[in-house]
Amino acid sequence: MQLQFERRDTPSKPLIFATPFIAIAITILLSSIMLIIQGKSLQTTFFAFFIEPFESTYALSEVLLKFGPLLFIAQALAIGFRAKVWNIGGEGQMIMGAILASSIPVYFTDSESVFLLPAMILLGAFGGMFWAGIAAFLKTRYNANEILVTLMLSSIALQILYFFLLGPWKDPMGFNFPQTVMFQDAALFPPIIFGFRLNYSLIIPIFFTIFVWIYMEKRFGGFQLTVGGLAPRAATYAGYSANGAVWKSLLIAGMAAGIAGMSEVAGPIGQLQRSVTSGYGYSAIIVAYLGALHPLGIVFAALFLSVIHIGGDYALVTADLPISSVHIFQGLLLVTYLSSYTFVNYRFKPRKTRVEEIESRLI
Amino acid sequence: MKLSFCAIKKTAFAVVLSTASLGSSANSETLDIGVLLPSPIADVGWSHALVEGFNGVKEKYGDDVKLNIVENIQEGPDADRIMNKMVGDGNKFLLLGSFGYMNSGLKLAKRNPDMSFIHASGYKVGDNFSPFTAKYYEGLYLMGMAAADLTKTKKLGVVGAYAIPELISSINGFALGARAVDPEITIDVIWLNSWFDPAKAQASAKALIANGADVLFSNAQDTPSVVAVGEEAGVYVFNLNSSMSEYAPTKYLGVVKTDWGPFFSASVDAHLNGNFEGRNEWLGVDAGVVVTEEWSSDISSEMVERIKTVEAEISSGARHVYDGPIHNQDGEQMVAVGERLDDGGILGINWHVQGVNTPLPK
Repeated sequence: MQLQFERRDTPSKPLIFATPFIAIAITILLSSIMLIIQGKSLQTTFFAFFIEPFESTYALSEVLLKFGPLLFIAQALAIGFRAKVWNIGGEGQMIMGAILASSIPVYFTDSESVFLLPAMILLGAFGGMFWAGIAAFLKTRYNANEILVTLMLSSIALQILYFFLLGPWKDPMGFNFPQTVMFQDAALFPPIIFGFRLNYSLIIPIFFTIFVWIYMEKRFGGFQLTVGGLAPRAATYAGYSANGAVWKSLLIAGMAAGIAGMSEVAGPIGQLQRSVTSGYGYSAIIVAYLGALHPLGIVFAALFLSVIHIGGDYALVTADLPISSVHIFQGLLLVTYLSSYTFVNYRFKPRKTRVEEIESRLI
Repeated sequence: MKLSFCAIKKTAFAVVLSTASLGSSANSETLDIGVLLPSPIADVGWSHALVEGFNGVKEKYGDDVKLNIVENIQEGPDADRIMNKMVGDGNKFLLLGSFGYMNSGLKLAKRNPDMSFIHASGYKVGDNFSPFTAKYYEGLYLMGMAAADLTKTKKLGVVGAYAIPELISSINGFALGARAVDPEITIDVIWLNSWFDPAKAQASAKALIANGADVLFSNAQDTPSVVAVGEEAGVYVFNLNSSMSEYAPTKYLGVVKTDWGPFFSASVDAHLNGNFEGRNEWLGVDAGVVVTEEWSSDISSEMVERIKTVEAEISSGARHVYDGPIHNQDGEQMVAVGERLDDGGILGINWHVQGVNTPLPK
């Protein structure tokens, strides 16, 4: 009997909920083989991955620290992805946001003004929007492919970052190391719990999520974007502007990434340095798709990815796992999840024989 | 089909739950030493030398100490969490193996006064937080003399990681040593802005050779890439921290080795005796930390004698690499005759001596 892949009429509800567990089970199975070959303890490893991130207030606060920027950027990217605008340069937009926001504490080293932080948020948003705006302009004016433009702009942003760190913004007391001064307290988000790195920047992604949910599900603007993505012709006949969708998608994503970048330098890092993004710009793409581009799904996806990331860091220490094994584990989890998720929309069906097919047509 | 999904789901839960009862428990009898490293330990290089430095400690205390190593961790926000976890898991003595771990490490040290921290290449000091650096420039001065003996083009090349004082002072030491033998020698430098970038290191080494350099100095690159290129192109080459002679069997000039053993042992002893004190540990030839060895047999025997004499003088304190007169790249006199650049001047040095062609990145 041959099998054929067939699209379901409606997505399978039970499978949507079962998929994460299936993915985890397959990953545990496959990575167990890897761990046994390496001679590592299975129990300690899985404990580190899935339990230790919830074990203490500190661990939980670290999960939420990662959750914030992932959620923020993924929600914004998903808006564009639904309109079929492929912005994969969140990384560069984050960097530009971080650079612009850092100009304030770099030039006003002694200021304790309460306007410092709001000004940095605005500059961060502007930095990201400006960088994404370049891609939007080139797309709408010259039809330049936004995938390439946003990706390449990320490399340029990185070089601009290096330029400032090696030159004008280098900490004069920093022994020539490529980094700025440590920012003063007024330029940092206050911590939610004293002594932990989790800070009030978390509020911004949460409000943004609520906004996105209302905008995409309830407002006409969101509907226009989605239609533009699903049926571009229909959108044109209805008079929805395709260029408008490109600008909207890219500027919203740029703003989110820019503020996320600013929140990193004004949060856990506390200065501008070579690595400011922790790869959030790219991880957020995975989060957006893990969450099936749905605002609520993205919340869970961001949380899930944060947990396995923190778990991975812990597995390095407690389970004595090499960092490459951690990456393999995280990769397996994503691959199995995404491939399992296919079955939400598709199913296997026995292929009909030629005779049966003709018969069914006759009927 | 549905049934089997449920079965898988149940197994997944079961595995997760069964592991939940097992935590890691730290044994209070043994001293847990945490080691955080920026690059893979590998067989050679910086991280390798740091881990080797604990051999003496392991020999002395046997099962009473346990080394918990986490390698290849990028300097950045994630390193902070891993450090915290190492502390939470009961490590009482922490070695932080890279400059970029400084600010997070210092915060952690303040929160854990019962712990002791040693931190490589930094400059901030805490009550229980000691930065440590090797006086590489002392070994480099000797290497410069050897390079001067062998160069024909009178051009030396350096592939450097970051333009920080530690590396700048190494290059200056190299230039001063070489030009003490032959003042016509000049030095070119290519900065990579990375501790670990084999591809770029190789390309840079080839560029330096194309430019005429016939002795190469791999300055703080944690891979044998530059060394291998030197052997291939037939130019002399040397590196820091640990021997890479097997990658250049015929063209290896020697190694400026760091033997952290004496310092690590003293620090662990101090921690166990409860009298660890944070201070800037700056260790050179006299402390037995900077060791030049594996000299190439091509170096003339007269030069070998001269090098031995100078090494003894540096070790006894009779000679200092930064004794005046020293001029900077523009020919300005920075250290007068009869004077000596003080420690602060070397630790924060941001200028090259005369003879180094490449300007510092600004």
